[in-house]
Amino acid sequence: MNKEDLEKINSYLTFKLGEEEFAAHVSKVLSIMEMVKITKVPRSPEYMQGVINLRGQVLPVVDTRIKFGMSPTEFTANTCIVVMEVEVNGEYVQVGTLVDSVQEVLEITEDQIQPPPSIGSNYKSEFIYGMAKVNENFIMMLDMDKVFSAEEMMNVQASTAEGEKQETSGEQSETAASESSQ
Amino acid sequence: MDKFKNKFLEEANENIAGLEDALLKLEKAPQDSDLVEKVFRHMHSLKGGGAMFGFNQLSDFTHHLENVYDRVREGTMEVNQGLLDLTLESVDHLKNLLQQGDELSGDMATRHKNLSLQVKKYLESGATPSGSQSQPSSSGSQEQTYYIYFDPDEDLFDNGTNPLFLLDELVGLGQAFVMPCLQGIPLLAEMDPRKCYTHWEVVLATTEDHSAIHDVFIFVEDQARIEVQKLADGNLLSNETFRKALEEKYHKDQDLGIDAVKGLVPAKDTGTAAQSPKKGKQSNGQARKDEGIASIRVDSEKIDHMMNLVSELVTTQARLSLHAEHSENNELEEIAENVQKLTRQLRDNAFDIALVPVETMITRFNRLVRDLSNSLDKKVQLQTEGTETELDKNIIETLTDPLLHILRNCIDHGIETPEERRQAGKPEEGKILLKAFYSGASVHIQVHDDGKGIDPEKIRQQAVEKNVISPESQLSKKEIFDLIFLPGFSTSSNVTDVSGRGVGMDVVKRNLADIRGEVEIDSEPGTGTTLTVKLPLTLSIIDGLLVQIADNKYVIPLSAVDKIYAANHSDVVDTFNNLIVLDGERIPFFYLRKEFNMPASDSNTQEIVVVQYNENRIGLVVDTVIGEYQAVLKSLGKMYKYQDMISGATILGDGTVALVMDTNKMIERFSSDRQRMTNVESQKK
Repeated sequence: MNKEDLEKINSYLTFKLGEEEFAAHVSKVLSIMEMVKITKVPRSPEYMQGVINLRGQVLPVVDTRIKFGMSPTEFTANTCIVVMEVEVNGEYVQVGTLVDSVQEVLEITEDQIQPPPSIGSNYKSEFIYGMAKVNENFIMMLDMDKVFSAEEMMNVQASTAEGEKQETSGEQSETAASESSQ
Repeated sequence: MDKFKNKFLEEANENIAGLEDALLKLEKAPQDSDLVEKVFRHMHSLKGGGAMFGFNQLSDFTHHLENVYDRVREGTMEVNQGLLDLTLESVDHLKNLLQQGDELSGDMATRHKNLSLQVKKYLESGATPSGSQSQPSSSGSQEQTYYIYFDPDEDLFDNGTNPLFLLDELVGLGQAFVMPCLQGIPLLAEMDPRKCYTHWEVVLATTEDHSAIHDVFIFVEDQARIEVQKLADGNLLSNETFRKALEEKYHKDQDLGIDAVKGLVPAKDTGTAAQSPKKGKQSNGQARKDEGIASIRVDSEKIDHMMNLVSELVTTQARLSLHAEHSENNELEEIAENVQKLTRQLRDNAFDIALVPVETMITRFNRLVRDLSNSLDKKVQLQTEGTETELDKNIIETLTDPLLHILRNCIDHGIETPEERRQAGKPEEGKILLKAFYSGASVHIQVHDDGKGIDPEKIRQQAVEKNVISPESQLSKKEIFDLIFLPGFSTSSNVTDVSGRGVGMDVVKRNLADIRGEVEIDSEPGTGTTLTVKLPLTLSIIDGLLVQIADNKYVIPLSAVDKIYAANHSDVVDTFNNLIVLDGERIPFFYLRKEFNMPASDSNTQEIVVVQYNENRIGLVVDTVIGEYQAVLKSLGKMYKYQDMISGATILGDGTVALVMDTNKMIERFSSDRQRMTNVESQKK
């Protein structure tokens, strides 16, 4: 099936981050992988978990929980990497996203989707374009392109902030190390 | 047909480039007859190809030019500045002709007419003074008569060759008697109009030599049987008896053959030096082999594809090696080792194919310097050094324009006029030195001029005027020079059409950034300016040193690595000023675990990889050095765009990912961090 046909269907992959359920359109999802060793890239923003080997290609992996303003992912047997293809500034980019567990593929029709609540959301709500009620559960509909579109700006800011943070923490660890050695 | 045409265009462009190159060299050594030959040869190929593919204007025009250089070749005309100027201008015109084909628009048409006239005029005027002394006598003595047998293959028409044109060209060489042999033509009903049934015999009296006659058939050599034999010295066709006998014989029975023609030659004239055609042809071919480049043309896409395949092979080979090591199977290990060796050679070879020497850009630079210095009435000499330095083809392509711009700036703003230079006590002729060299893991290209230099104070003032910096800001010399690369910044007081409109240096910087290059400027008022372009070796495969830090593996480019030392944990972890004495030299170092924000290692020993950073040696402390490793460089992708310390990643034999360090960027960043830290600390105090 080609991409255009894929975009027309109403199937969504749902997954959990903590207790909350999220949905991403299947046209964005390339594959689901079990956890593998992630190589951390030094001095990168905290939500950038690192890179993995995806069939000979280097794939960046994002900690979705941090990206959404939640606590960092704790790795369990259910933790998965969902490989997605998102559009960033007109270019298609492949990226791995960490999720606590993958649920199922659901049909969600447009009339099931309601606009997101404007106040009182716990998460960075600019990524969520709607809520769907399925079997008494609310599922947050994610706009994956948006999740990564603000990337570049945040990346710069985050990496400089990170750099500064690292300096101070490096200083601390140095003093800590010298104290302990004494 | 289009395929052939493209091929021709490609070749024609090469010929024009070769022509330009030869002309510029000729300017420096006007007596060099090899260069004249080269010029002539390129023109000849252009002319021939042009006519064949319908570029008649181009062909005609080149024909006249060729005539001029033919005279030069004969020694009846001299190479001088006027001629070279005219020829170079014509070369530019040829480029246009090649693009536009036969339909000339208004401007082009006038230019074409003017230039053609000039060339023709040159041919007439230039020939008379010097030609009068030697032409008649020499041509008289050198004239020889040849017998030429030309039998084209039946399918000659298929690639658009018209044999009559070739014969016309042949007749143009001197006095000729052409005898078409028509017996081969079948009855009309049986005739295939796409086939060539005729062959020709020609008796030619000419001053040209054997190879000139062969040159006529240069494009059909493989499609025809060609024999050239000398009949006699002197012009036999002017001999009435011979001519009459020949005509009679031809009318009686066609297809005479060499022996029959020879039989007609008056006894005393029979050539002693009758060469066998085969031998002549062979030696001719030999000569061409010597002068030509033994190369083939390959689509660059194919090269990219090959590079990808080699990359895959290297990765697979790493897996094999790892597997063989664990297998404890001696034979397998031996095979794996061989595969590794072969892969390395293959990789180097494949990589080499994609490299182009800096040399290839130089012709364009020479041309620019020449034209621009003439139009600005300045005397400038371009010297080059290290032009054999090789860079990826794609880098070279992107690099040419920025470098042209830099050179333009040098000539326009840097080098002074001859009077100014004399007053400043410098030689009248300005010098620009373009130097390319490897430095660590990068290639540097330096453009140095000995002109008037840039005054930092002037830039400063201008920056303040333009509100780029505040009047009280303190800037180092380097920081001031960096202002030049800001958009809309030009220090030149007068705007010329060459440069100085304030666009430029920022564009240069941006273009270079696209290929991850950097540019720096340094200048001494009065003595000159040096611009340094630093380019990364964005090689897709690099030789590296595999090291371990915590549970991650990293690759340090081997080209940057100087030496490896072992060190005690305590020597590197809590030292006061991050200096360590190695081989009696104090070397600053960075403890990478700390810099990467990882907990300090609990092992007692550490290893220090000493790398070259600009002129300094810097130590990088790692947990352990694993060994040499061929790394296939993969990009970290857009999401890590701002991660410049790591130039990429590579996949190890066991499937995990190792990061490839860019040691220059990394050390740069660490030291600026440290600088900031000490600043913060001193402020606290």
